[in-house]
Amino acid sequence: MKTLLCALVLAVLLFSAPSRLLAQQDVTYDQLVHADATPQDWLMYGGDYQSQRFSRLTQINRETVHSLKPAWIYQPSHPLPPFESSAVVAGGIMYVSEPLSTVTALDARLGTKIWSWSAKLPDRIYTIGVHRSNRGVAVLGNTVYTETLDAHLVALDATTGAVRWNVHVDDNNQGYAMTAAPRVLNGKVIVGISGGDVGIRGFIDAYDAKTGKRLWRVWTIPAPGEPGSETWGKDMSGTRGGGTWGTGSYDPELNLLYWTTGNPSPQYNGSSREGDNLYTDSILAIDPDAGKMKWYFQFTPHDTHDWDAIQVPVLFDETIDGRPRKLLALANRNGFYYVLDRVTGDFVTGVPFVHQTWAKGLDAKGRPILLPNIEPTPEGTVIYPDGHGGTNWNSPSYSPQTKLFYVSAREVGSYFVIGEPKVDFPSFGGGGRNGLPADESYGAIRALEATTGKLKWEYRMLAPAETSTLSTAGGLVFAVTDEGNFFALDAASGKLLWEFTVGGASAETNLITYEVDGKQYLIGGSGNCFVAFSLP
Amino acid sequence: MRLAAVVFAASVLALNAFRVPPVAGQDTPPAQASSTAAAAQAAPPDIEQGKRLFSQNCSQCHGADASGGDGPDLHGVPASLGDTVVQGIIRRGITGTPMPASYTLSDKDAANIVGYLRSLGSATGSEKAAGDPAKGEALYNSSGCPVCHMVAGQGGSVGPELTRVGAMRGAPSLRARLQNPGANLPQVGEGVFGANRWTQFLMFRAVEKDGRVVEGMRVGEDSFTIVLKDAGGKLHGLWKPDLRSLEKEPGKSVMPSFKDVLSSAQLDDLVAYLVTLKGAQ
Repeated sequence: MKTLLCALVLAVLLFSAPSRLLAQQDVTYDQLVHADATPQDWLMYGGDYQSQRFSRLTQINRETVHSLKPAWIYQPSHPLPPFESSAVVAGGIMYVSEPLSTVTALDARLGTKIWSWSAKLPDRIYTIGVHRSNRGVAVLGNTVYTETLDAHLVALDATTGAVRWNVHVDDNNQGYAMTAAPRVLNGKVIVGISGGDVGIRGFIDAYDAKTGKRLWRVWTIPAPGEPGSETWGKDMSGTRGGGTWGTGSYDPELNLLYWTTGNPSPQYNGSSREGDNLYTDSILAIDPDAGKMKWYFQFTPHDTHDWDAIQVPVLFDETIDGRPRKLLALANRNGFYYVLDRVTGDFVTGVPFVHQTWAKGLDAKGRPILLPNIEPTPEGTVIYPDGHGGTNWNSPSYSPQTKLFYVSAREVGSYFVIGEPKVDFPSFGGGGRNGLPADESYGAIRALEATTGKLKWEYRMLAPAETSTLSTAGGLVFAVTDEGNFFALDAASGKLLWEFTVGGASAETNLITYEVDGKQYLIGGSGNCFVAFSLP
Repeated sequence: MRLAAVVFAASVLALNAFRVPPVAGQDTPPAQASSTAAAAQAAPPDIEQGKRLFSQNCSQCHGADASGGDGPDLHGVPASLGDTVVQGIIRRGITGTPMPASYTLSDKDAANIVGYLRSLGSATGSEKAAGDPAKGEALYNSSGCPVCHMVAGQGGSVGPELTRVGAMRGAPSLRARLQNPGANLPQVGEGVFGANRWTQFLMFRAVEKDGRVVEGMRVGEDSFTIVLKDAGGKLHGLWKPDLRSLEKEPGKSVMPSFKDVLSSAQLDDLVAYLVTLKGAQ
């Protein structure tokens, strides 16, 4: 009897211990709209539709962050840098993409691999001017959506990794490639395209999430005769570009999708494309039901410095001059920080956030006022910022607590060299760029007042880094240096609070945070390591 | 049961996963269509044009007459590597070294440069150097060089190893460095400092919170740490946030200048010896 009682007690104890069952669940559109209500998950690229990359979790905070330690490390199946993924976590399962076109599901507590799927890629893939990497997945229902390097969109079963459908988005033999995280809306999967450097004609596509059927395509380059075609010189032969290789943001109330576009081609020689070259280096606001552009704003007309506008549009609301505004902030590769009205696309403000030597400033409509002698030359013209820009594709973050915009700023210039205006695939470029000595450049995490772009504080790094930032309700900002140092700063003051050296080149993953079984984790990659940190 | 099924499915999938396609170019200028390359090779190179292009694009590192500078002597290189390989290097650079890719030179341009290099013959700088290598070797040993530098496993570890210095640098840059060791320091493409053009052998002065000063040559650095090697060859690993100050000292070097120590003829002899050092690492 006593033995039986003991066994019973033991059984009760065993079953009341924390469950080891993974709480896998379907992700609903409603959950995505209210992502801030479930901060334990990290449901999408950018954290929420506003792309604020801000977490409401507070276990890791200003007081506790000093004891943050690695919990586990995952190394990708094909250890080839660059490892640039931004993970998605739902119900204790992490979905991470790896180079070249692999998706892996992990137990988010332990790092154990549950399944892994790799695209069957052709022997030869064209990725000219494109990183041979993948930047993340999207999850809706029990399906994981991923793009492949050879320009397919694939829907995978979230439990097994089995292929539900696989559609061919465009022809890789013409230079079309895909590396971004898709954006899922209500029943739709939205994707962009890479290859703007080799003269593709850029577009944004929507696909039915259930079937993979294409619903619409919005071209980023007008056809001859269409509005905007007059901004491409005499004729449009051989001059294209306007890749869409980032992941857009979305305002569910306005039902507007915000997607950015890349450079015109050939990127360093503009002689064959006189004019503004719409809609390159722009942001487009798209009605996702109609598949129609509502407005556009061009950051860099007639770009000859490879300043793709593929930076993350961060949506936030703030009162300016007593008037509540729906705003959109974007720190651009061209060195300027922009604030736009996201209802109308009107320019609100714009200031340089790094040293720049190409524009006197922006006019009342946000158009750059050019300085003389900024064009690439055969000997090379030194211009700041360099071709990788004042910041690149890596996500910034916005904290609604501090109302600051945290961005990785790159203080570096380069020689811009002009060459023949080649656009015949697979030639590209029409020139190139050569770096300035590294000891004359540096990087910094900068905190800007979101509504004005005014510098509040900065934390310097040795080298110009291509890192994301992640801000949290714990009063922290996380980032990674180019040399693989993970670190945490006080979000209000910029003071260093924690550092851990992982090392490894190309620390370009976007940092995320989530919580499982009462434990908060920070995740990011450097070199071939994808490291989860937690408190002991 | 369900977990077992998942694991089984995962392992089946994993079997299909290990297939890495060959890598085509990324962020590098692609080779042009092979027909173009063949056409470029078929036509005889324009040596005058090659000389002009060399002067504009290559001479800064490889010297006005291709005898080397901070980059290696190129005499005899097309003969030993083959024209196609050298043309490829001119177009695409060498990853991990300061040799950059060229965005402006065509295959035809590269063929003309290689034609010019071939026209120079293969007598290298060491064979044409003004000094006497045997006298130079004696001077190397009597002037104290082995105290700090290692050649083929012999010598000190304060300064850089010189085992292959004749393959890496040309006579003019070696002569200049003997006279003014801290000036115009070379920049590396990769290595401990990552993928950019970092200055090698740069001197730093660090002041710790308690006032102690550490001065030395940078051997490693990231955003939070730096390792300096002092004049005695001792390594100091420093945590930057704990430092009172950290300053670069451009122009300075641990190495003394031999400008007023050796005569011009002796410098020639020493350089003539150094350019013979092409041993394996």
